[in-house]
Amino acid sequence: MQLSEPTFKHQSNLASYCRTGKLSTIPGIIRENVHHYRRLVYNVVDDMLQNAYPITHELLTAKEWEGAVNNFFTNHPCQSPQVWYMPKEFYQFLADTKHPLLKKYPFLEELLWFEWVEVELFMMEDKIVQADKSGNILSGRLVLNPEHHLLSFNYPVHNKNAKLIKISDKGKYYVIAHRNTEGEVIFTDSSPALIRMIEYLSESPLSIKELFNEFQQEYNLLLSDEDQKSIIRFFENAYKQQLIIGFGKQNDLI
Amino acid sequence: MVGIGYRKDFAEEFLQSNILDPSFIEVAPENWIGIGGFWKKQFLKVLEKYPLFTHGLSLSIGSPDELDFDFLRKVKVFLNETNSKIYSEHLSYAKCDNAHLYDLLPIPFTYDAVKHVSKRIKTVQDLLERKIAIEIVSYYTPIAPELKEIEFINMILEEADCELLLDVNNVYVNSFNHQYDAKAFIDQLPMGRVSYIHMAGHEKVSDTLIIDTHGEAIIDPVYDLFEYTMHQLKRDVPVLLERDFNIPELQELQIEINRLSAIKQSALKIKDYATV
Ligand SMILES: [Fe+2]
Repeated sequence: MQLSEPTFKHQSNLASYCRTGKLSTIPGIIRENVHHYRRLVYNVVDDMLQNAYPITHELLTAKEWEGAVNNFFTNHPCQSPQVWYMPKEFYQFLADTKHPLLKKYPFLEELLWFEWVEVELFMMEDKIVQADKSGNILSGRLVLNPEHHLLSFNYPVHNKNAKLIKISDKGKYYVIAHRNTEGEVIFTDSSPALIRMIEYLSESPLSIKELFNEFQQEYNLLLSDEDQKSIIRFFENAYKQQLIIGFGKQNDLI
Repeated sequence: MVGIGYRKDFAEEFLQSNILDPSFIEVAPENWIGIGGFWKKQFLKVLEKYPLFTHGLSLSIGSPDELDFDFLRKVKVFLNETNSKIYSEHLSYAKCDNAHLYDLLPIPFTYDAVKHVSKRIKTVQDLLERKIAIEIVSYYTPIAPELKEIEFINMILEEADCELLLDVNNVYVNSFNHQYDAKAFIDQLPMGRVSYIHMAGHEKVSDTLIIDTHGEAIIDPVYDLFEYTMHQLKRDVPVLLERDFNIPELQELQIEINRLSAIKQSALKIKDYATV
């Protein structure tokens, strides 16, 4: 059964008051108490956003932060029934509406995304893949940790104090984020070539040699000895950090 | 049985020591569905030690909006996977005009709300293939009421044929905020439907208003009302200590749990009361 107009309308008025602060007439309410609903609802949203975006919260002035949170909560209907996921909608809302703060802080959109990726990687469901725990990094087929995100930024939001980021920092920054088996989220500086190789690995486990070959074929170039050594070092480290979580079953075929 | 609301704030110490030793834990499914990594590992360890009761937040049983069946299906999987003993939800709404508000708003005590909410509870029970326990929430203002609170609640319990989560603190808070006799209110509830009891602390923000914060210890008058409730109930049901904010030393939570157990035991001592 559908609710009749008056009951629905009163509920909608109260909900709308909580989101906007504008109170329409609701019969029977205790006027001096109703503001607690707005306060309680707002606090939940504000707390969740501060927890998800501590760097952004620190960067913005109190007035800017409050303005953004209010604008979001008033104008955006939050879709996630899970409150921990709601902050993603804040990032999307500011980006979609081209919020003026994104102009004032040209790196803000990337900062929000960086902060959200950390939350999402930390929280997201486990993804299980089969891999042998031990093997040889030089000869084995590397199995990529599926709990990762590939990121590219125009500003160094991942490794520079947000308050110190300047226009002159503009460039190209490639970052790989992943979650290790302890559940920690780790951000690693990377390069377009390494990102491409990680993309190959996300398709199927490959040995370092196979990675070199595929990359050289795709870009029609030859990797220098120096390049190869530094890529090997990257993958050795990636194995230690559990971005590479093990080895494919056909280890010894290569 | 006296349980505790499982909170991330004390998860680590809870697992590593025996200071806090409840009979079960309670969580909100929406805080754990689809969660992996560190928290999932902790949660699985806790589930090995304690039975799970669940208390939802986002179902929004009193909402004018459509029920979220996708979400409900996820809840069902979660309840089965975790072997949850009870699924309870609030007699309130948390979503309206297609927007989640992440808090509990009071439903107008109207006849058509009774019909609407009862039908939704039945739908949820059918889909989950289990009875659910509905909690009387604290409220700070009535909304266009046609019925008294007690009439509204009893009509829904009857029509939906569901169980009652009796939050004794909420009854105390409401009786203070809306000036009625808490014991008389409890006398009018269908005790046969009570399957679960909540106990918590609150914050008195003015001479006329208490806010249900779950951020303080339980106060003596609420313990008294609990004792009264147990005498009316005359049987054992699981009791939960809720503490969401301002979390004290675990020792202090255990003292509250012990006190609740003691009150329950002594109220049930009288011959012929069934205990579980
Ligand atoms: Fe409760």
